[in-house]
This record gives sequence, structure tokens and C-alpha cells, in this order.
Amino acid sequence: MSVKQISTNMLRGWIDGLLLQKTVIGPVQHQGHFRFESITSSDQLALDYDVTDLPPKKFLLPPREVMMTFRSSGEFQSVMEFHPFVLFGVHPYDMIAINQMDRVFSEKLVDIHYLTRRNACSIVALDPVAVAPHNFSGCMGTATVEKGWDLLLTPLPQDGYLLEIGTEKGNTLLHSIYELPDASLDQLQLREQRWNQNQKSMRRHELKCAPDDLPDLLEQNYDHPLWQEKSSQCLSCGACNIVCPTCYCFDIQDEVDWSLETGVRCRAWDGCLLRDFAEVAGGHNFRKQSAERYRHRFYRKASYLPKRFGEIACVGCGRCISACIPNISNPVEVYNQLVGE
Amino acid sequence: MSKPQVAIFDLAGCEGCQLQIVNLEDSLLQLLSLVDVVEWREAISNHGPEIDIALVEGCLEREEDVARLLHIREKSKILVALGSCAISGGVHQMRNALSSLEARQITYGNNGFLKHLDVHEKVQSLDQIVKVDYSIPGCPIHRQELSYVLRCLALGRIPFIPTYPVCVECRIQENLCLWQQGQLCLGPLTRAGCHATCPSHGTPCIGCRGYSSDANPQGLRQSLNRYHKTPEEFEHHLNLFLGSSLEHAHA
Repeated sequence: MSVKQISTNMLRGWIDGLLLQKTVIGPVQHQGHFRFESITSSDQLALDYDVTDLPPKKFLLPPREVMMTFRSSGEFQSVMEFHPFVLFGVHPYDMIAINQMDRVFSEKLVDIHYLTRRNACSIVALDPVAVAPHNFSGCMGTATVEKGWDLLLTPLPQDGYLLEIGTEKGNTLLHSIYELPDASLDQLQLREQRWNQNQKSMRRHELKCAPDDLPDLLEQNYDHPLWQEKSSQCLSCGACNIVCPTCYCFDIQDEVDWSLETGVRCRAWDGCLLRDFAEVAGGHNFRKQSAERYRHRFYRKASYLPKRFGEIACVGCGRCISACIPNISNPVEVYNQLVGE
Repeated sequence: MSKPQVAIFDLAGCEGCQLQIVNLEDSLLQLLSLVDVVEWREAISNHGPEIDIALVEGCLEREEDVARLLHIREKSKILVALGSCAISGGVHQMRNALSSLEARQITYGNNGFLKHLDVHEKVQSLDQIVKVDYSIPGCPIHRQELSYVLRCLALGRIPFIPTYPVCVECRIQENLCLWQQGQLCLGPLTRAGCHATCPSHGTPCIGCRGYSSDANPQGLRQSLNRYHKTPEEFEHHLNLFLGSSLEHAHA
């Protein structure tokens, strides 16, 4: 579709207009950190953010959501949330993670709770101008993104943005503003430069192999001593799971109210680093040792899911690196150590 | 189906967990519509013989505590340990690093030798004496968690109380990590279920819910340098609820 130009002022005005009709969620600064949250004015948006502490997945797969209500007599009703909202300012690496989630929740077993919410969501992606302290999306091929978004904003070096319309949904979001001028050839070239620059600069950690080589690399190193060594400091706290844009595992629990007649079935985020994650009925645990759980995370991201979907399930956002108290979670460090031998 | 008979008992402790039951206030009547409370020194005076669910607060300090606990166990179908004292000795276990005489002298000075202060050499938790069916952790307990457990037990279901660390609940709320803010927080070692109440208000976790499953204090010790914390500081914090004797028992 077409690429338009939009000044910063006009962009702000457009967002404030959107706020009259829809919930808009975007990056907001708190004590030098950033969070995706619901805004009431475009002034709150920190469009020059580097990375948020939690990825935007929390609005598509909430940490805890009611899936159905039930009665002890057996009747039940699915709960679906349809509340149109705009996710504003999603960086390419997070967009790619959402694309992966879309696939997981729609292939084979269709997850209607996720998809209902996802369909109600419009995404405005944003090419970053700041590089987070541990971002390595340049190495993972996720510093730029071609699809998934409804609109894509790219900041221009002086003032304003280029705005590419990706879908009809994106086009609809623009209904409230006058026709925007088309981007000039020069501006399109500046956009190319921004993309090239991001691919080069978003490499705070340099991966010593191509991402496509990772499944084979892991295949050869299942019994490598590194898993045991690194995990000896692992706190099994699941921080790396919680902050990861491609971790979407959940647990399901029922809760009844005081009548003992009615209740709700909820799902809540779970994480493979937590001990109970792989415990099944009867008490058997498939990954009892912390080292097994530590290893599993890397295999899931760079071996199991790639084999199934053809894409590495690590987008290089670096959130796990920032979140890990003992500093053992850096995927690049782990992969490079395996390459090094 | 008749209502389950519930009794509430206290051993050595501050009765703060029982106070949490009283503090249920807006749901206390609903709770009472679900169960019959047949024995509760803090709130009622009649005594029932048969008990379906015994909620026991406190730890064992004296010989008569042991006899009392054995008696409670004998007449109860389900025994629930209420709060950190009952589960692990709570703050009482701090004295396990000393002899009982030393502890008594520190606390009571010259009166420490008096006969009525006779206590066991070591503080014990309920599970060291009897079989404990379920535990509700915390100092004090989280009253919503108690309500939830009672509803599960009334339905004959196993309650789910997280065994993972507080970090999970803290990260989900997008709190800034207190370690990364220069504080010594025991969240990474402590069992969740409190909704990370303390760290969410900027106060480090002190470990009141006991160790999480696979807690790794030794691993955390290796990170102290990175965060400019000393081993002494760390052990001092740990001592309150997650003392060294518990660490070994846990491992």
C-alpha cells in the first residue's frame, strides 16, 4: 500500500482524535523505564523509547484472564473480550514476536480468546531511534519488520514521520485526518537508511553465527557442561520468561465463589523456568533439575519452535538479559560459547 | 451435605494470622455460611469434639504445645498450618542458632532462667511433629488465600498455592527490580501468592512466605558482589524468615 508523510504535530493531533473513539496503548516513561499502558493524551507517549520492561503481549495475552464462567451443574459460558484498541509504537522485534504468537494461537488448535482480542487490536508499528542496552535484534534479522502491522511509522531525521499503510484496518484508523501527502523519493530513501542503520546498530551483543545455524548448533550440544555451569546460579524465578515477547505458556485454574455453585476458569502466565511448570498429575516432573529447565528455554527458542514454524523464536529484544539478577540469561553469550568450541 | 466443622487453634505466635480471619469482615458471613466454626479461642468459647478442618497457627516452643498438637491432629480430618510460624517456625526459628538459655538471657536478662520460661532447645514447626495436610504461608497469612483454601477444601479439591518465587508476581506488575535499584530483596527466594505486595510498594521482600520451590540462596550469594551487597548483610536479611537451618532442610 502507500507511504505518506506526517508531521509530528499532525501525528499528535491524530492520536488525540483516536483517543475520542478507542483505547490507545503506547509506551509511557516511568522512572527512566518504559511501559506499554493505556494513555489519555498523546503527550504521554514516549515515541523515542528504547524498550519497555514488559512486551506488548500483556494486552493480547493478559497475565490473568477469565476464559469461562461455569456452574457446578455443568453449564458454562466462554468469555470473549471484544474491546477495540490500538497498540501504538510497537517496535519491529516486538511486532515479529506478535506475528509468531498469532501463528501459534491460530494453527491447529484455534485459540478463540486470543484471536478475538487480537482482531480487536490495531497495531501501529514504529521504527526505533534509540537502541536498548542489550538489544541484539540486528543479529536476529528482527530490527525491521515487513508485516503484521496495520500502520508503520518511521521517524525522519529532521521532523515528522513516514507512515505506511499496511492494511485496510490501518487505513480506517486514518479516516479522521485529511489526505496525507505521499512520501517523496528522498524521504523513502531516508527510510531505507533508517532501516539499514537499525540493522547495524541494534547489535549490543554480536552473535558469532547466523541465526539459521542455531538449531544445528543446539542439536550438537545437548549434553554440554555449560548448561550445568550457568544454571548453578539460576534462581528459577522465571523473570526471563515473564519479560519475553515469545513466551506465551500459561496455566489454567478454576476458582469458585462462596456459593460453591458458580465459578470462573482462568488462565495465567506460566514459565518453563519455574519448577512446577513441567509437573504433571501424579507428581512426576519432566524437568526437575534447574539445569534442565535452563537448557529448555534455549532449545525452545532456537530449536523446537524453529523446527515447527521455520523461525527462531528469539527476537533479540534483550529483555531477559536486563531482567536476570545473576546475569546468566544472555542468549548470545550462550550461543557464542557453544560456537567457540 | 452438612457444613464442614472448622476449628482454629493457636500455639506459639502473635495471633496475627487469626486476626486476619477476623479481618475478613466483608466475607466473614459468607465464610460462616460455608463452614461451622466449632472452636476458636480468639472469637468463640464453645468446644466441639469432632473437627473436619483444623487451622493451626503458631509453632512449638514448650512441651505442652506438643501434647496439644498431637491431640488436635487426632481429632481432625484435615490439618492446615496457618502462617509461617506453623510452617517453619517463622521468626521464632531465629533462636535456633543459639542455645535456649542464651536466647532466654538475651530476651529476659537475669529472669531468663525462671521455670515458667522453660522452652524446648529448638523451635519446631508443625510438620516436625504431625502430618500437615495443607499450608497457608505468610506473616501474616493473606486472608483471601485462606478464603480460597477453605472453599477448595469444602469442595474436596486441592488448593493451588504458588510455589514459584515472588519475582513472577513482581515482574508481571512491571515493578522495577529492587535489586537493580540497589536494594536487597528476598523475592527471588520467597514463595509467591502475596501479589508481591511489599516490593510493589518499594519495600524489599523479607521472605515471610518461606522458601519457593528450588530456591537457590547459594546462587544468589554469588551475585551479591555485582549488586554491592555483603555476605553479612545477606545472611542478616535471610535470618528473619529464611534462616540457615531452614535452608539446609529445604535443600
